[in-house]
Amino acid sequence: MSGAAGLAWGVAGGLGAGSAIALAALFGVWWERKVSARIQMRFGPQQAGPFGLLQTLADTVKLVLKEDILPSRADPGPFLRAPLVVFVPIAVSLLAVPLSAGWAPLDTSVGALFFLAVPSVSVLGVLVGGWASGNTYATIGGLRGAAQMVSYEVPRTLSVLSMVVLAGSMRPVGMMAAWRWWWLPLTAVAFVVYIVSSIAEMNRGPFDIPEAESELVAGYFADYSGIRWAIFMMSEYGAILAASLFGAAVFLGGSHGVPGVAGFAILLTEAIAIVTLVMWVKWTFPRFRSDQLMALAWKVLTPMALVQLAVVGLVAAWL
Amino acid sequence: MAVDIESRTPVEDAEGRTVEELVVNIGPSHPSTHGVCRIIAHIDGEIVTRAEPVIGYLHRGIEKMCENRTYLQIVPLTDRLDYVGSMYANWAYCRAVERLASIRVPERAEYIRVITCELQRIASHMMAIGSSGADTGAFTMFVWAFDVRERVVELFEELCGARLTYSYVRPGGVARDLPDGWTDACRAVVDRLPAKIEEMDRLFFGNTIARGRLKGVGVLSADDAVAWGASGPTARGSGVDWDLRRDDPYSVYPRFDFDIPLGDAGDAYDRGRCRLWEAVESCRIITQALDQIEPGPVHAEGFPRLLAPRQGDAYDRIESARGTLGVFVASDGSTRPYRVKFRSPAFCNLALIGRLAPGHTISDLVVILGSLDPVFGEVDR
Amino acid sequence: MALARRRVSATAYSVTDPEPRGAAAFVAAWGSLLTGLGLTARRATGGKPATVRYPYERVVLSPRWRGALHLRGTIGRDEIPLLTESSDSYNGVIDGLYSARRLAPCTGGCPANVDARGQNYLIADDRSAEAYELVRSRNILPGVLGRICHRPCESACRRNYYDEPIAVRPLHRHAYELYQAVREERVHALPLAQDKRVAIVGSGPSGLAAAFDLMTAGYPVTMYEKNEKPGGALYTGVPAYRLPREVLHGEIDDLVRMGLDLRCGVEVGPDVAMEHLMGKYDAVLIAAGLQVSRILAIPGADAAGVRGALEFLREANLHHEAGVRDKRVLVVGGGNVAVDVARCALRLGATAVRLASLENTDEVPAHPWEVEEALDEGVVLTCSVGPEEVVESGGVVTGMRMRECLSVFDETGRFSPKFGERETEFPCDVVVFAIGQGAQLGGLVAGGDIEVDGRGNLVVNGAMFTTSHAGVFACGEVVTGPGSCIGSIATGHEAATSILRHLRGESIADGRIARPVPVYERYEKATLAGVETARRRIGMPMAPADERIIDFRPVELGLTSLESLVEAARCLRCQSGVCVGCEFCARTCPDYCIRVERTDDPGARCVTRYELDLTKCCFCGLCAEQCPTNTLEHTGQYELSFYHRDLAVWDKGEMLRDAGGTRATGRDGIESPACPTRRKDGRS
Repeated sequence: MSGAAGLAWGVAGGLGAGSAIALAALFGVWWERKVSARIQMRFGPQQAGPFGLLQTLADTVKLVLKEDILPSRADPGPFLRAPLVVFVPIAVSLLAVPLSAGWAPLDTSVGALFFLAVPSVSVLGVLVGGWASGNTYATIGGLRGAAQMVSYEVPRTLSVLSMVVLAGSMRPVGMMAAWRWWWLPLTAVAFVVYIVSSIAEMNRGPFDIPEAESELVAGYFADYSGIRWAIFMMSEYGAILAASLFGAAVFLGGSHGVPGVAGFAILLTEAIAIVTLVMWVKWTFPRFRSDQLMALAWKVLTPMALVQLAVVGLVAAWL
Repeated sequence: MAVDIESRTPVEDAEGRTVEELVVNIGPSHPSTHGVCRIIAHIDGEIVTRAEPVIGYLHRGIEKMCENRTYLQIVPLTDRLDYVGSMYANWAYCRAVERLASIRVPERAEYIRVITCELQRIASHMMAIGSSGADTGAFTMFVWAFDVRERVVELFEELCGARLTYSYVRPGGVARDLPDGWTDACRAVVDRLPAKIEEMDRLFFGNTIARGRLKGVGVLSADDAVAWGASGPTARGSGVDWDLRRDDPYSVYPRFDFDIPLGDAGDAYDRGRCRLWEAVESCRIITQALDQIEPGPVHAEGFPRLLAPRQGDAYDRIESARGTLGVFVASDGSTRPYRVKFRSPAFCNLALIGRLAPGHTISDLVVILGSLDPVFGEVDR
Repeated sequence: MALARRRVSATAYSVTDPEPRGAAAFVAAWGSLLTGLGLTARRATGGKPATVRYPYERVVLSPRWRGALHLRGTIGRDEIPLLTESSDSYNGVIDGLYSARRLAPCTGGCPANVDARGQNYLIADDRSAEAYELVRSRNILPGVLGRICHRPCESACRRNYYDEPIAVRPLHRHAYELYQAVREERVHALPLAQDKRVAIVGSGPSGLAAAFDLMTAGYPVTMYEKNEKPGGALYTGVPAYRLPREVLHGEIDDLVRMGLDLRCGVEVGPDVAMEHLMGKYDAVLIAAGLQVSRILAIPGADAAGVRGALEFLREANLHHEAGVRDKRVLVVGGGNVAVDVARCALRLGATAVRLASLENTDEVPAHPWEVEEALDEGVVLTCSVGPEEVVESGGVVTGMRMRECLSVFDETGRFSPKFGERETEFPCDVVVFAIGQGAQLGGLVAGGDIEVDGRGNLVVNGAMFTTSHAGVFACGEVVTGPGSCIGSIATGHEAATSILRHLRGESIADGRIARPVPVYERYEKATLAGVETARRRIGMPMAPADERIIDFRPVELGLTSLESLVEAARCLRCQSGVCVGCEFCARTCPDYCIRVERTDDPGARCVTRYELDLTKCCFCGLCAEQCPTNTLEHTGQYELSFYHRDLAVWDKGEMLRDAGGTRATGRDGIESPACPTRRKDGRS
């Protein structure tokens, strides 16, 4: 692609990914509220729109209109830019996810690596945002977040590696195409490791220690308000969307060879199932402590992923 | 008390570098302080090296206000002590006044007091367990516990119109008799409760993450519990077999068959689980009381509205949800007490935070605070 | 309370759940996660959420939860109900009010259920004549009882809870005194149109009460009195310093003016035979009272100088001479009669008077105020002594040997005195036994078929006051034994009801139950420390003790009109459902959010202001619990009814609004009743 076309593609892709994340957040917040409500014997939002569907939209309007507060102790430069540093890598990583059989917005041969590596940049945003707030809670939250997200890169990458070995490709479209049903029982452990470490990557419960509201009030984004806070929230839902779509495509076979919109619908259904699972987990379990979280990453998930990789390696050799 | 949280003492770390301790000011407005507690935590990394509770943010001078009010007017003030368990302060105060003025309480009133106070124990423990769930991020546990609490509070609402500050127990009895159908409603609630509690036990206390968060956290030895004046589930969680309902029986408690849950390890887990099973024991007591209660008057007849007990003093204590709640009333023979003093269990239990927290992380600090179940209306008074 | 009905069986058990180890720990950990997910999934999929689905469901409050704090009525807008029923339906009204918890304690505490509340209401309104007539309908001699009644109403008075009881008895007297001015115009002959006639034997209070009831119903009544003047025991037994004779005879004169055929100096038995009465009249009521004193059969009891109390009092009252001048008098007994004897003896010139009571100081049966007045006058009270022997010398009393009494009543409360060893001799010249009285019916029933038991008492049905002979009834102390005057009057009303039914040919027994004189518990007195003078009871002025003992002048001097008005206005109008602005709610409120003002002008009494400040209210309900009139009320769940709090302060109009349903917001046309209001009959 030439420079101009690439730029145009980049802008279009960026806007598309941003809009997708915004949509995902709109739906995801509503869905999360509904899921948690049912678990807690409530109805959840029910006034704005049918089934309260427009509740998030109303909240968004409120958030956009809220005052954008800059704390007096904050370091303005990093503080104001940190939300974007968190948001953009996640939006970009979304581009590498295959959306239907044979099609991904950004179809590269190192797509899996791209998908795993790019969001790691948002660690910087968390760290910088927490530090720049000039607030003890936010600082601790940022530090916790950095440690956690870096640690969980390892089991997450290892779990995807099993699929790469099986599929013999790092191109997500190719991995989706190569999927066979018997991979599911074979790679169940990898899938579990992938889900758990993805939840940890996106700082969601029970791994939400960087933002643990009962300890650190809101952790690294404690001092953010209005639209900047909303961007942090959107990044979280963007990460859920990206991880679920990628997980559905790679571990569950995605669109199962169906091209076009129908294929996308199949993929989306699987992704929503994963999203629901993620929410279900969050609203069921208590939160880990930071040392337990590290122990889980290094003593449980990484060995599990390594064993899985070894098993998959044996099977792949036998293939 | 002026506390300078900027005073960061430089300390030398293990490798000989001079580092500063980070001082985190938790509260007075913080999601996990259960009110308006302020804890100044010195932390080294995530490890708390010193925790100092600062109280007084909810001080309303209730003990002093009591000196300017008649004996009846004090009852609503006692609601505002332990606002999670208003019935207890009502009852303890009324018992002290009744002892002072030699008022005999009708038997039915005693039964109603036991029933309402055991319901109150359930409500209060659900609040404690639910918020220790919320402290560890298990918000669903919080809501489930509040669901149980809500059932109990609805009963109170029907009883006296209030959901929090009941003023239901009055010197000489209770404010009014049980409304029609109340005993059936109460029985229905109590019958369903153990199943719900068992479900919560599996959801939270059986969960491996929660066990990891609670077990071994804030271990209080039985000797320390006694030495620091801890009482209630906080002491019983450490294996101190002390329950006033059995060891200094009052009211009609000797007529009921119930057991006392104790903890072995004395950690946050044992304290929380003690509360959970105490709620089940409360259900047993309520069921027996509902079986035994008989019609009759609910208020002692024939004592003057303008109470002026003889000169002297009286102390009475009851087992509240938080522990030994004592009330001391001194009378100079006039219609207003000369002095009223509340021995609040939450105050004594809260003092333990400075002892239990060091060595644990910030995350554990809130868990320990939650496991002590302080209510700041009672701590500050 | 039997605390130890069952042994405590509380045993301790451990709640510590030990951690599994090794592979079991791994399995348990993942298993617990799956269990948790299963539990939440079950809650999420099964069952209805506990909250409300909007907008299809709304929170519906039970009507019971909606009773806001409100006033049922206030004085100035609402009238206090007066008990004006006729005698034969009066008991039903009282019982109805009692079961509805609407009976004022003074009325309930009175044996005759006199409407003291209504009396106070009318007096405070400056309608004393109406008050007098209201009281007279149940208490035939208000002026007499206003001086001598033992005032059970005041013991029962709700105001005992707060400070001091209302002076109901002095107000009876006050009403009587004001009534004298209008007596001529208000006492008329009753239309006695019935053709059946009734004879009453005895002109004591019970007979008079029955006569009044019967005459009100239109039956002519003939009353036979053996003494020269009517009044029975009131005339012969009650000393004039307590009851001036003109009061007694003035009120009996009123009855005569109404049409009572009073025949004094005629003793039934010797002068007119009972059979004659039974033949001539359609009903005969025996209200003869008690005539003879009991005298203990102890050694020396027949010596000269040993007297019975009734005989002593009769002499003292009729002749003002009882033979005790310059003598030492010992009165055996601790009751009111004994006190009367002692005080009479003082007035008749005794040099020393000693009351010797079997009971101890706390148990002395005489009313404490009477004992106190006697002590003021110089009577010596010796408690816990029982008569052992009258010491005589040549047939003349020289002293009395008494044995110490350890206890009078046994555990079950029965009279069973236990005596100690110690004996004391009290020198005296006259011994008066005031230990009880008996009936003397020999001449009355001699030869007839009216049944008399072995001890000489009439056999009477205690509920219907019928004797063994149809058409002959009995009432008063001849039935009940020694008792209070108002208690006798109550029996008179009951007997009159029976006679009316008998005359009308109705069943006497229908719906009648024995109505014992109610015993209301004694309240511990409220403390008076810190109580303002304006709230205190008006004290009755008394003649100085050293002046009053020289003759039979009245001891109590009476209240002024202003004092009476103020005292009557103190009455709380208990259970009337009408707020009188007593302010006890405001005084009880721990948050000082009630403000009450009232005006006490006679004829325009009104609660001018009643405000509840909702911004301060803590909904404890103490105010309503405190309300003596049951005016301020809520349903116990009233906090919920405050869910519109647009009105920060509820004024009188808002407080008087019907409590049902939800409170509306804003004023919506609720007006406070105008105040002060004029009386409905146009007088001011």
